[in-house]
Amino acid sequence: MTNSSVLRDKSIVGAPIVHMVCMAVLLFAFWMLLSGNTEVKFITYGVLTSIIASWVCYPLLLVSNLAGTKKYFIFGINPFKLICYFFWLMGQLILANIDVIKATVRPELQINPCVVRFRYKADNPMAEVILANSITLTPGTVTMNVTPEGVFEVHALTDGAAAGLEDPSGMPGKVAWLLGQDFTFEKMGRDY
Amino acid sequence: MIFGIPVREFIAFVLMGLGLIFLVGSAIGMLRLPDFYSRVHASGNSETLGTALVFLGLAVYNGFTDASFKIIVIFLFVFLGNPIGSHILSKAAYKTGHPVWTRKHADEVEEFEKQAGEEEN
Repeated sequence: MTNSSVLRDKSIVGAPIVHMVCMAVLLFAFWMLLSGNTEVKFITYGVLTSIIASWVCYPLLLVSNLAGTKKYFIFGINPFKLICYFFWLMGQLILANIDVIKATVRPELQINPCVVRFRYKADNPMAEVILANSITLTPGTVTMNVTPEGVFEVHALTDGAAAGLEDPSGMPGKVAWLLGQDFTFEKMGRDY
Repeated sequence: MIFGIPVREFIAFVLMGLGLIFLVGSAIGMLRLPDFYSRVHASGNSETLGTALVFLGLAVYNGFTDASFKIIVIFLFVFLGNPIGSHILSKAAYKTGHPVWTRKHADEVEEFEKQAGEEEN
């Protein structure tokens, strides 16, 4: 049985059964949202489907670190931290968006595009994914490439956006805090 | 009542109007910016906040119903999916060696895009 072997796997960070229950509850909430039907029959179907789906999918949602010593559950994020991070990101999004609109709407374009390179490494591979996605989500910066060594190549539209990327206590620090990880950060310069 | 409109609808209109400003800004950026990578910023990123505000306005307009929650879920999927599209486009361009427009190398990029256009025709 794959299920029992996953439950006994000591290399998984956190408790597998808690992860599975949380995922089933989340899936059931999504089911209720989409069906909106409170008859007993449909609720039973919903409970059964969410439990089976989380049981089948859980082994697929594990990623191991580069050394292969630990496995991380990809949704294994503290929800309170996630909400804090989400609102912080929304704030950054609004500020950066106003900057970009100001730069592009002026009669003379106030842009100075460049490629920023930096190395970012944390044990959990999800940190790189979340950082790359957050960078692309913020206007003025687009992640062009991430190498397996953790070198990010980011296209920045304005000088302000490029400077914001090179601040390790900004987005990289927040992502590491979100996942409860230590991280290494190293600037590698800009290409104009 | 504000200007003869219920407060909830007024808030919804304000949110949707703000969203419209950001969407128009992204359209202007799309037309004015010089090269492919810069236009990805305009088309992909500035739109996220515009659509977010429009969806939020729609959710407020609907009130506390399950339709509002569905709208918020749609917004979350846009929030997750939009950067992936921008990233894949810019990664494809970067891997195929499309030059990056900068203040110093503006002429090279214009020449490259001119040549690429001629090859297509």
